[in-house]
Amino acid sequence: MDSFDVPDSTDWLETPLSLLAPLESSLRCQVCKDFFNNPVITSCSHTFCSLCIRRCLSTEGKCPVCRSSDQELKLRRNWAVQEFVETFQNARQSVLDLARKEAARLKDGDSTIREPSPKKRKVDRVDVREEVTVVQASPRRARTRSQRIKNDAPNTEPVPVAQETIEVIEDSQDEGEEEYVPDDGMVACPICQRKMKAHAVFSHLDTCQGITPAPPPPSKPSAFSVAHSSLQPQPNRLQSSPGNAPERIPAMNYSLLKDNLLRKKLRELGIPDWGPRPLLQRRHTEWMNLWNSNCDSRIPKTKRALLQELDIWERTQGGHAAGPSPFATNSAVMRKDFDAAGWSASHDTDFKRLIANARIKSDTQVRSTIPGASEKSTGESSTGSAAPVAPVEAPPDNGIPVESNQNIEPRSFDPSG
Amino acid sequence: MDSKYYNNPFPDTFYSYQMQDHVPPGITIVKSDSLEEWQMDIKVLDENPLYKGHTYRLKFTFNNKYPIVQFIDVPTTSDTPRPIPMHPHIYSNGIICLDLLSTTGWSPVQTVESVCMSLQSMLTANTRDERPPGDSEFVAYNRRRIRDIPFVYEDDNV
Repeated sequence: MDSFDVPDSTDWLETPLSLLAPLESSLRCQVCKDFFNNPVITSCSHTFCSLCIRRCLSTEGKCPVCRSSDQELKLRRNWAVQEFVETFQNARQSVLDLARKEAARLKDGDSTIREPSPKKRKVDRVDVREEVTVVQASPRRARTRSQRIKNDAPNTEPVPVAQETIEVIEDSQDEGEEEYVPDDGMVACPICQRKMKAHAVFSHLDTCQGITPAPPPPSKPSAFSVAHSSLQPQPNRLQSSPGNAPERIPAMNYSLLKDNLLRKKLRELGIPDWGPRPLLQRRHTEWMNLWNSNCDSRIPKTKRALLQELDIWERTQGGHAAGPSPFATNSAVMRKDFDAAGWSASHDTDFKRLIANARIKSDTQVRSTIPGASEKSTGESSTGSAAPVAPVEAPPDNGIPVESNQNIEPRSFDPSG
Repeated sequence: MDSKYYNNPFPDTFYSYQMQDHVPPGITIVKSDSLEEWQMDIKVLDENPLYKGHTYRLKFTFNNKYPIVQFIDVPTTSDTPRPIPMHPHIYSNGIICLDLLSTTGWSPVQTVESVCMSLQSMLTANTRDERPPGDSEFVAYNRRRIRDIPFVYEDDNV
């Protein structure tokens, strides 16, 4: 089972650092059991991967841990956990290797101990993430990262010298004097960019709502944000600027939309619009979950990547889900809007045959389990030699037990029941 | 590796069972080679005379929406060599009446391990050597899937 060798919190149990197992468990999502991926917090203060909790909430609207009701709209990103997970993942392999070496040393060359296996996948994942960060990040992000780890990425834009000096200066008054005092004696609020007299800025800052009426000139806000990041050096604390964030897809009340309108909506979103209505709804829900959880990501994926994920969904659970698993078809049958009439027409002969078989079988069971019935049917079977078939051919002769059969058996095969 | 259970045919939960050493006491993995069906053996660890010395087998059938939708848990006499434990909430065909196995009681945070432990404790707490009322009728007539059976979970003591 070496191919299944995947990082797990139980990895720590065999090492002297077994106390790290619960730590790692707490950094994993309770739904998917993987490390938190874009963690969000619910209104009941439980944290999950954004995609996991969105799928749960769109299925039943309850927190999986405490079962209290919640709404997708109330989910908030949990940056602290995100940062925690990322730093832990970065450190994990080296710490684990060290711990395993120590475990091996303690056991004094015991051959049964698991050798620290090279976890290629894990390492690759971290590497890829680093690369993606550098390539796709906004200029602001790339800059802070390059400052932090002295990693000179080739496409990092040159950092203006003026901003570098500002970064060191943490006193906002000095900053204002250097950067923000124009000739007219007015200074701009660093948050909303409104111009005002210098002494008014500090009282204004207490109440500033941060509204930007006009798009600010690019140099000043970035100067401020770099200064700000010097107070909190972790790049994770920086949220992607609101202008770049993809817009969330709102939930829809499917019952208000006719088929054509729903199809049109799907087309507008750029996702496939084929298939029966239940599939359209499920596809829209899945796309909404994929999209909105991507909005929670610090480094959002492209729409193309999301469409690929939707395609995987389509093949595993959507319209292209093949039927090796019988449950997929069963769940279709269980849907309220399932075409029961069409189904029963096309499977009519099957149902009749099954009902007939079931009557034969259950009738024999009735005889063996219910004394009254067995008494009656033994009387019958003594007259007819083909005992199990007789009651089916003459149902009115039978007493209550068979009547209850008739009530129960067809229902259990009738998909609309 | 960012793919989750939906995209990944091997949900991460399953990996944690690669190491038999870390399953809780009294629980053994019998079969976990396919991702459609698992079999687990559970034992009751304390001195409950009803179950002492017995091992019971559970069959877990996973659907493609697991863990959002619960797996279907059908231990039947026909495909396990183990007895069906006597319990007022376990029918003699092996169907278990437990709210966390139903659609309403299921939560995606449940795992194979947590379900096994719940069943262990359900057995441990039981003192009545009986089947549910109406067992024979239920066993004779039920053709529904387990999660669609409208059980009434009236007993909070178990």
